[in-house]
Amino acid sequence: MHTLELAGVSSGYKRKPVLHDISFEAQESTIYVVLGPNGAGKTTLFRTIAGILEPYSGEVRFDGEDLARSKEARKRINYLSHYNALPEEMTVRGALDFYAKIEGGDEDKVLSLLSLEALKDKKVSDLSQGQKKRVSIAKVFLRERDLYLLDEPTSNLDPEVSKEVRDILLRLSKDRIIFYSSHNLYEARDVGTNLILVRDGAIGYFGKIAEIKSKEYRVGIRTTTDISRMIDAKLGDSGYYVLTVNTPEEAGLALRRLVENGVLVTEMRQLDNPLQDLFDENHNQSLARREQGGEKQD
Amino acid sequence: MSLSKTFLIVGIFLAILSVLISNLPGLIGQIPTTGIPANATVKGGLDLSKALPFTSVALQAFAAIIFATPVLLLYVYDKNNGVLEYFLSLGMSQGDIYRQYLKAALILSSGVVGLEIAINVVAGLAEGTNGLFLLELSGLVVVLAIPVVSLGTLTMMSFSSLQKQRVGANQPLGMALGIFMVMPAYIFPLVFPSLAIAIDLALAVVIGTLSLLMYLSSSRLISREKLLP
Repeated sequence: MHTLELAGVSSGYKRKPVLHDISFEAQESTIYVVLGPNGAGKTTLFRTIAGILEPYSGEVRFDGEDLARSKEARKRINYLSHYNALPEEMTVRGALDFYAKIEGGDEDKVLSLLSLEALKDKKVSDLSQGQKKRVSIAKVFLRERDLYLLDEPTSNLDPEVSKEVRDILLRLSKDRIIFYSSHNLYEARDVGTNLILVRDGAIGYFGKIAEIKSKEYRVGIRTTTDISRMIDAKLGDSGYYVLTVNTPEEAGLALRRLVENGVLVTEMRQLDNPLQDLFDENHNQSLARREQGGEKQD
Repeated sequence: MSLSKTFLIVGIFLAILSVLISNLPGLIGQIPTTGIPANATVKGGLDLSKALPFTSVALQAFAAIIFATPVLLLYVYDKNNGVLEYFLSLGMSQGDIYRQYLKAALILSSGVVGLEIAINVVAGLAEGTNGLFLLELSGLVVVLAIPVVSLGTLTMMSFSSLQKQRVGANQPLGMALGIFMVMPAYIFPLVFPSLAIAIDLALAVVIGTLSLLMYLSSSRLISREKLLP
């Protein structure tokens, strides 16, 4: 079992902190989903843990070793950033071979794992964004590590490949710690068991995803016929029938009922963002605690 | 990549020019602009047949740094692409990363230095130049080119954060550095040709020491965030 511990960590760029006094301990081998809006500090958090950025204060320890000071400890971590980090003039196989020479590992194994055999002789610069992302993920899996930091690993990927990547991660997470950042609460529920909420450089929540109660979802449906008798939806001022459900799956079931009844649905959209609600609620709670005076930001 | 080819071509051009200058006294026999025989000793001790080859040593060292510029282009490209960030995440330090690109620059520039020496030696022997003199010149080119390429490469990598665009590698900075570093080696052989070897060696030691200090202190001088896209 591994342990990742952050104690009073502040970190940022050009001496301006982006992360403020962050402390938590991750001891469970599982996927921790790191959620937060743009600019919250997710990438800075990952870079600080990976040892790319040295913290201005505090310590980051993995299995007791200080990651900022220990090269050997950093070699037990793998980090996938927003950027593909691929030598563009090399072929796919050449790029993976390049990294395999640096960190070890078998490029044939990852070519097969991420279904890249058909692309192996293509230049990286000739690939689509999604294909580059797959190659970028492949380099992360060249050698198995004890801690994975994956910054939006499924962005630009089609649903089938996203699922394959998530399945690989679920398998790895049985005896490893995996940090997986996302904007998407729905994806978070599919992938992870634990949630770390980051907002304004602080940890807003650290715990089990199952314990989070998000509000009801409001879904707007535009149709050519009156559907108020088929499902429990009322016509709103905006021209949408407003359906209130507890989970996205219920919205899907409602849609299926409409289609089975021959209703032409011209548009269906989410009217509220439960993730934003979660942040707003959490942010308000944090403000209230600060006003009461002095609870630690954990 | 077309920019890389440009620098390679410029480097080869400078190398050929420097070899021509080195062999000018033997090629033409007399310097036309002055009417002085190329092997003449002017009042005050200026021997053009000795001075010009030493001047060409400086130009050959400058050609080496120009020829190594594609490595700097690659460095900037890799930085903007997240490759350097990934290297840091693998446990490499700033010094480790610098060392790899420096190695590449030295390997690339050794190609043009080898070419320069080979042509110089062949041309010199064909003209009947003393073999020991040719050996001295060849040794000076190597001894001066290595620290010039090292310091130039390290400095340009350190200042690459000043480069706003994805392409390019502070080339005006690189050219200015190269010219500035080897300037004494251009001038002094003309004024003190008998001290030319000593001057070139001293210059190589100074530049080499500076590049070593810069490399050793790279982790302190350059923060990791400078290597991020």
